[in-house]
Amino acid sequence: MEGSPLVAVIDDDESVRESLPDLLRECGYRVEAFACGEAFLDSEYLDVTQCLILDIAMPGMSGPDLQRELQKRGRTTPVIFITGHGGAADRQQLMREGAVDCLIKPFNDADLLRALAIALL
Amino acid sequence: MQNQFSADVDLLPVLAWTALPDGTIDYVNRSWCEYTGTSRDNARGTSLESLLHPDDAEALAGCRCALSDAGGSHECEVRLRRHDGVHRWFQVRFVPQQDAEGHLLKWFGVGTDVENLRGTNALSARTGDEMELKQSQAFLAKTQRLSHTGTLAWRLRTDEIIWSEELYRIYELNPGVKLTHELINTRIHPEDIPLHDEMVQRQRSDVRGYSSEHRLLMPDGRVKYLHLVAHVMEDEHGDPEYIAAVQDVTERRLADEALDKARAELAHVARVASLGALAAAIAHEVNQPLAGIITNASTCLRMLATEPPNIDGARETARRTIRDGNRAAEVIKRLRAMFANKELETEPVDLNEAAREVIAMLLGELQQAGVVVQAEFMQGLSRVRGDRVQLQQVIVNLIRNASDAMHSVTERARWLRVGTCMDGEDWVRLVVRDNGDGFDPRDAERIFQAFHTTKPHGTGIGLSVSRSIIEAHGGRIWAFTNEGQGACFTFTVPAWTENGASPASPIGSA
Repeated sequence: MEGSPLVAVIDDDESVRESLPDLLRECGYRVEAFACGEAFLDSEYLDVTQCLILDIAMPGMSGPDLQRELQKRGRTTPVIFITGHGGAADRQQLMREGAVDCLIKPFNDADLLRALAIALL
Repeated sequence: MQNQFSADVDLLPVLAWTALPDGTIDYVNRSWCEYTGTSRDNARGTSLESLLHPDDAEALAGCRCALSDAGGSHECEVRLRRHDGVHRWFQVRFVPQQDAEGHLLKWFGVGTDVENLRGTNALSARTGDEMELKQSQAFLAKTQRLSHTGTLAWRLRTDEIIWSEELYRIYELNPGVKLTHELINTRIHPEDIPLHDEMVQRQRSDVRGYSSEHRLLMPDGRVKYLHLVAHVMEDEHGDPEYIAAVQDVTERRLADEALDKARAELAHVARVASLGALAAAIAHEVNQPLAGIITNASTCLRMLATEPPNIDGARETARRTIRDGNRAAEVIKRLRAMFANKELETEPVDLNEAAREVIAMLLGELQQAGVVVQAEFMQGLSRVRGDRVQLQQVIVNLIRNASDAMHSVTERARWLRVGTCMDGEDWVRLVVRDNGDGFDPRDAERIFQAFHTTKPHGTGIGLSVSRSIIEAHGGRIWAFTNEGQGACFTFTVPAWTENGASPASPIGSA
């Protein structure tokens, strides 16, 4: 596990925070999960995270808010958005603003792993 | 003697003076001085003409001529200027003093203030305070005009009605036309005539202040709203007379009505539109646990596929899968409980009106989509038994579907027909036709199933919800393809009956 890419999962939904890290660890990634963007920004993993899997709608700081905050701090950590709302227009917009992908819940593992592989290229 | 005369004349409450044959005044009494505000010395050498209202010069000159020609005393009514500049009416009487040969030596003049006598007829006659009155009348007219308020007097004994100019303007009748209740009734809104007549009768027998609101219907179809407040006064004979202020409150009433209508529409749109918002909320609530279920199941499979299999890990993720499955079921259960409390609100619904409202609501988006809507509503359609909002949700659905179905139509006009008719005596039918792409006739039944959709971004919920609403109303909904182009969606629902009995079965259902 040492040396494998570190992925941060940020979602206010507990079942996602439990299931997604399990899946990713099973696939060989190192994973840290956070319930909100603020917790991630305050954490020691901010500098070493190589990819973010980010829920869009969260209480407090939203996923896109966090992405903008990171860009403002000069970070180019790739972002994959996940969302429970299936708005096609929003998806296009997020991709234009630099997201690697935007997956609509429920998504299958193959789509997520493919997006993650692209993000870590 | 002279002194005594002077003292006596001073006491007279009239203007008195003497003048030379050419009219030059050589004596005035005290009343003159008080009225004109000049001293006796200053008055001496002036003439009556110096006090005269310019418009009355002719009258005075005429009087003098008549006097010179015929002799004897003569009188006329002229206005004389008071010290404060106000002209008052005087009856002026001249008596010539002549010598034996009949040569004129002097004039004796007496002026009696008749202003107050004339003042009683102030509205119709020229009065001493004419300027003042004219000014105040002009001011009053302006005020009435600005405030859209007219005044009226109604004398009960003679049934005489007098209006102010503004009231003629409000009623749009020619000023001065003889006013009768019959004439006024030609302007009152037909629906308000019975109440208005009743009020007039009541105010005749039961004399006291009243107020009312009624409408006018103008010959060109405009409606005005009037607010009237009347008080009882006594006319100069001591007979009762109503004096009323009548305000044209049309603008205010129309604004009130528009506000009420907007409020009702807003509430209504929110209720009708809530179906879509609700569907989105349900989707989000259910998608969260579904995401967990699928991810957990994938993880579980992966753990079992490793060599050796990670049995403990797989067991744990399987447990989480069950937990998330239960969470999803919980969401559905909550929703079901929410809807279970909602009984169908049944009331008589005018389907024409309900459809008309939906069309009005959707008109903007239909116009944007380049769709021409034609309504073919049957006159005298029976009302139906049902929940107005739910039925409107169905109509919204059918119209939006029809509009979407014409999205790809570019080579011909996009039209959409919404029609109603009776289906026998007991059923009311609503039809939505379009000239879009239609559907495969084999799908006529399948399109009503949940999650079946032919639209790129459709949910497949609209028609299935529509069907459940119509079936809950005891009706039927079906679809077929038009012979030319496009589709035709039809539903029938039972007509309203007082006893609430359901008709046997819809006639003509597919």
